[in-house]
Amino acid sequence: MVNLTIDGKQVTAPKDATIYDAAKLNGIKIPILCHDKKLKPFGACRMCLVEVEQMKGRQIPACTTPVTEGMIIQTATPEIVKARELVLELLLLNHPLDCPVCDKAGDCDLQNLTYDYKVDSNRFTDLKFQHEIDYNNPLIERDMNRCVLCGKCVRICDEIVGYGALTFIDRGIETKIGCEFEDGLNCEFCGSCISVCPVGSLLARPFKHKARFWALTKHESVCGYCGTGCRLTLGVKDNKVLTTIYDENQGFHKGQLCVRGRFGYQFINSKKRLTTPLIKKNGRLIESTWDEALDLVAGRLNRGNSVAALAAPRLTNEELALFKKLLVENVGTKNFDHAAGYAHAALTEGFSRSFGATASSASILDIQKSDLLLVIKTDSYETHPVVGFEVNMAVKNKGVKLSIISDKRGKLSKLPHAQTLVHRPGSEVAVLNAIAWTLLDEKLVAGSASLIAGYADLEKSLSGFSAEAVAAQCGISAADIKKLASEYAAAEKALIIFPAGQAYSGHNADLATAAANLAFLTGKYDKEGCGVLCLSEKNNSQGAVDMGFFAQDGGLNGLQILDSCAEGTVKTLFIAGENPLTSYPNRSKVKAALEAVEFLIVSELFLTETAAMADVVLPVCSFAEKDGTFTSTDRRVQYFKQAIRKSVLIKTDYEVFSSLIARLGGVAPATPAVLFSEIADKTAGYQGMTHVSLLKEGAFAAAVTTPKFIVPQAAAPFTAETGKLSLVTGSALYHNGTLSQYGEGPMHVCPENYVELSRTDAALYKIAEGDLVTVSSSSGSLQLKAKITPRMPAGVVFSPYHFSDAPINTIWSGAPVTSVTVSK
Amino acid sequence: MNPITPIINGLKITLKHMFMKPVTLQYPTERPKVAKRYRGLHALNVSHDKAKCVACYLCPTVCPAKCITVEAAEDANHDKYASVYEIDMLRCIFCGYCVEACPVDAVKMTEEFELANYNRQDFIYSKERLLVK
Ligand code: SF4
Ligand code: SF4
Ligand code: SF4
Ligand code: SF4
Ligand code: SF4
Ligand code: FES
Repeated sequence: MVNLTIDGKQVTAPKDATIYDAAKLNGIKIPILCHDKKLKPFGACRMCLVEVEQMKGRQIPACTTPVTEGMIIQTATPEIVKARELVLELLLLNHPLDCPVCDKAGDCDLQNLTYDYKVDSNRFTDLKFQHEIDYNNPLIERDMNRCVLCGKCVRICDEIVGYGALTFIDRGIETKIGCEFEDGLNCEFCGSCISVCPVGSLLARPFKHKARFWALTKHESVCGYCGTGCRLTLGVKDNKVLTTIYDENQGFHKGQLCVRGRFGYQFINSKKRLTTPLIKKNGRLIESTWDEALDLVAGRLNRGNSVAALAAPRLTNEELALFKKLLVENVGTKNFDHAAGYAHAALTEGFSRSFGATASSASILDIQKSDLLLVIKTDSYETHPVVGFEVNMAVKNKGVKLSIISDKRGKLSKLPHAQTLVHRPGSEVAVLNAIAWTLLDEKLVAGSASLIAGYADLEKSLSGFSAEAVAAQCGISAADIKKLASEYAAAEKALIIFPAGQAYSGHNADLATAAANLAFLTGKYDKEGCGVLCLSEKNNSQGAVDMGFFAQDGGLNGLQILDSCAEGTVKTLFIAGENPLTSYPNRSKVKAALEAVEFLIVSELFLTETAAMADVVLPVCSFAEKDGTFTSTDRRVQYFKQAIRKSVLIKTDYEVFSSLIARLGGVAPATPAVLFSEIADKTAGYQGMTHVSLLKEGAFAAAVTTPKFIVPQAAAPFTAETGKLSLVTGSALYHNGTLSQYGEGPMHVCPENYVELSRTDAALYKIAEGDLVTVSSSSGSLQLKAKITPRMPAGVVFSPYHFSDAPINTIWSGAPVTSVTVSK
Repeated sequence: MNPITPIINGLKITLKHMFMKPVTLQYPTERPKVAKRYRGLHALNVSHDKAKCVACYLCPTVCPAKCITVEAAEDANHDKYASVYEIDMLRCIFCGYCVEACPVDAVKMTEEFELANYNRQDFIYSKERLLVK
C-alpha cells in the first residue's frame, strides 16, 4: 500500500493502482471517457486530467499514471476544470449533437460529462464529421460521426474477445474506427464493443429506436443459453424484453456476453410463442383450455412404468426437482432423462467414477489462475464463448500457456503461442491415454499418485497406449505427445477443459476419466488453477445432474426411452422443452419413436417440430417470465427473478407440474422457494442456500472429490470408408441447442446449417464457398451450404446441429465420427 | 340612515348597468378573443411535408399526466420519426411542458379550445389529427 493525498484527503491505495483507481477507491470521482477497468490503460481522451504537486503542477492523466508514495494530487482545481471543458468543447466540435435521435442518449458518457461541465457553447467552429453510417449490418450499427476515438471498442475486441475486428484507420483529423479495408463488420457479434462505447457510435440494431434508455426497467437475470451462466440485465418496457443492458459490475465476466446472450433475447417476446394449450383432435392440434389439457395429461400419466419423460436442461432446478417428484412419487416411473442421456455422461458416469462427484473439480475462475490450459477441442470457444474470453485473457494477460488437442483448428489456436495438436477425429481418448502413458513411462508422475486407488490397473491398461502406438493412429507425432506430457507435468498448475453436449457424443465418460487420470497422475487437482472442467452445454445442464434428473437405478436413459417408445413398452412420453426430433441423433428413428408412442405430451415455448407431433401441447414460460435457480457448468447456483409478466394463458413448468401432482392426488411445495429449501437440504454442496441468499451473486456448490483411477475405453481408431470424408458434429458459435433459432439475433448472422470443409477437399471435389452440396451418409443425405475454411484438416468436415430446416441428424446417428460423401 | 336610501342606491347601480356594454359573451354566436399564449389543443409542426417530430420521447418523458404516447421508427432514409404520436386529451392538463421540452420545436399548442366530444375514444388525438393542416 502507498500513502498519498488526494484533494487534501490522506488516503492509501495498492501499489499497482493508478491515480484514478486510488481516487475511486476512496470515493473521489474523476471523470473518465476512454478508460475501462477491464482494459489496459490507454490515455486517449484527457478527461481525467489531474494535477500532481511533485510533477510541478503539470496536468497528467489519472487513468494511466501509477500512484507513488507521498503523491499530492488535486482533482478539481479551476485550471483542471477549464482543461476538461476544453476537451469537451473539442470533442463536441465535430460531433453531430443529434441526441434526440441517438439511442445512446440518457446513457451517454459524453452527454453526461457535457451536462456536468455545463458546456453549452463552443469557442471554435468547424464542420461536422461526414462519415458514412453503416446501416446494413443486422446487429451492429456504426455511426463514426459520433465517435470520440476512445479506442475502447478496438481494445475490447482485441484484449478480451480476441477477435480484432475493429481498428483505427486513417490518421489525424481523418481518423476513424473501421474494419480492415473499410469493409463491413463480419465478426463474432458478441456486442462487447457496443457495451463499452461511451457514445452512440456503436449501437444494437435490433433495439434501434425501440425505447429511450430511461424508459427501460432493468431486471437482473441469468442467461438462458449455455452453461457458462453469465449474468444478464434485461431492459424491459411495457412488459416486453427489448434489449440486454451492459453492467460492468455484473458476474465474473464483468458484463461481457456472447452473441447469444446479448442478441438472442428476442425469443422471449416472439410472436411465434404458444399462447394456449393445444390438444390433438382428428389429427389436428386444436386450441383448448388448461383444465381440459391437464385432465387429459393427468389421465395418461397415471400408468407407472409405461410413462417416460425427457426434460430440457433449460428448466430451473426447482422445476426439474418437481418434475422428478411427479414422475417418481405420483406417476411411479424411473424412466426420465435429459440431454439424450449421453451428453451428461461425462459428469454422471465419468466424473462420478473418477472424482466420486458428478461435477467438475475446477471452476471458470481457475482459468486465469492456472499456468497451463489443456483444452480438448477448439470447439470450447464456440460452445462457451465467455469461457473463451477467460482463456483469451489468461493467455494474453497472464501468460498462461495454451495447449489444444483437437480434430480441427479454431479460434483458440490463433492465440499467442497456442499449440494445437490436430488429431484424427475420434481419437481424443487415445491421445489422452498416450499422455498418461508418457507420464508413467518418463516417470513424470507425482509421488502421491501411486496411493490413489486403481493406479496399478491403470498402469497395466495403458501398456497399449505408448506414444508411438497412438501416434500411428491419431496423426499427432509421438514427439509432440511426449512434449505435451512433459509440459503438462512441468507446469505448476494446469487445468484441463473440454466441452460436452448433444453434438459431442465422443465427449463421454471415457474422455472424462482419461482427462481426470492425467490430473491425478500429476497431482493437479483440488488446487487453485488445477483440475478438470467439463463445459456442460445448456444453462442448467449441471443443475439437471444435481437434481438427479437422469436415468438411475435401472431407469431408461434418453435414447432407450425412444427405443422403448418404438417398441411400445413406453406408452406415454412427456417431453418438457426438449426438441429430440432435431437435437437427438438419428432423425428417422426419433420420428418413428414419437409416432409410435401412444400419447405424447410436450411442454414448450414454441410449436417446435417435436411439439407439432404431440397429442397435447402445453405452452410454458421462458426464464424471463418465472423465477428460480440455474446451476452453471462450474456449479455456481444463481437465482433469477421474474422480469416480465407472463401472458394469461401460459403457465410456468412449475405450475404445470404442481397441477399435475394435485390431479394425481399428491401435494407439491407451494412455491419454487419452498422447494428450493428442500433441494438445498438434500443436494450435496447446496446446503444453506436459499433464494434470498443467492439474490445478489449466486454461490458455488462445492464438490467433495475422492480421486480414483478408472481405465478409460478408447474407441477403436476411426478411418473413414475409402473415398469418404469424416463428419464431425458440434456447436456453432452463434447458436446453442435449438432455442437460439427463435432468438432473431443469432439467426441474422447464422441463419442456416452449413458444412465446413478444408481447402484441399474443396479443391478435390470442386466445391466453391457457398455452393449447395449434398452430404450423404449411410442413414440419409442432406443439402448444405459449403463453407471453406483453413481450419479444417483434409478429410474432415464439420457441421453444427442446431437447425430444424436442415437437421444434421438426418445423416448423423450419434457416432462421434461418421463417414460421409460430399458432392455438388 | 333612511331605510329607503340603500334601495335607491341599489336601483342606481342597476340602472347604470342597463346602459353599460354586457360582459357575458353570447357564445357560440359570439367568439372569444384567445390570447397568443393560450394553451389549447396541441398541434404537430410540419416541415418538408413531414412532421418535424423526431420521436425523441422527451415530451412523453416530461408530461406530468403521462398522456402522450410516442413510438419511434426508422424511415427509408434511416431517419427517426414517430410512427405513433398520440395525446389523450382527457388526461392532458394543458401545462405546456411538452412544448417546452421539445428540442426541435415539433409540438405546439394552438388557440383551439373547443374539445368537446361524444365518445371517450374521440379524445385520443392521433398523429394524423394533430398535424398542422
Ligand atoms: S461484436 Fe465483438 S467481435 Fe465484433 S467487433 Fe464488437 S467486440 Fe469485436
Ligand atoms: S466507436 Fe465508440 S468505443 Fe469505439 S472509439 Fe469510437 S467512441 Fe470509442
Ligand atoms: S450463451 Fe453462454 S457464454 Fe453466451 S452469454 Fe449466455 S451464458 Fe454467457
Ligand atoms: S400539456 Fe402537459 S399534460 Fe398535456 S400533453 Fe403536454 S406535458 Fe402532458
Ligand atoms: S419532444 Fe418533440 S421531437 Fe421529441 S417526441 Fe415530443 S414532439 Fe417529438
Ligand atoms: S480517461 Fe484518462 S485519458 Fe481518457
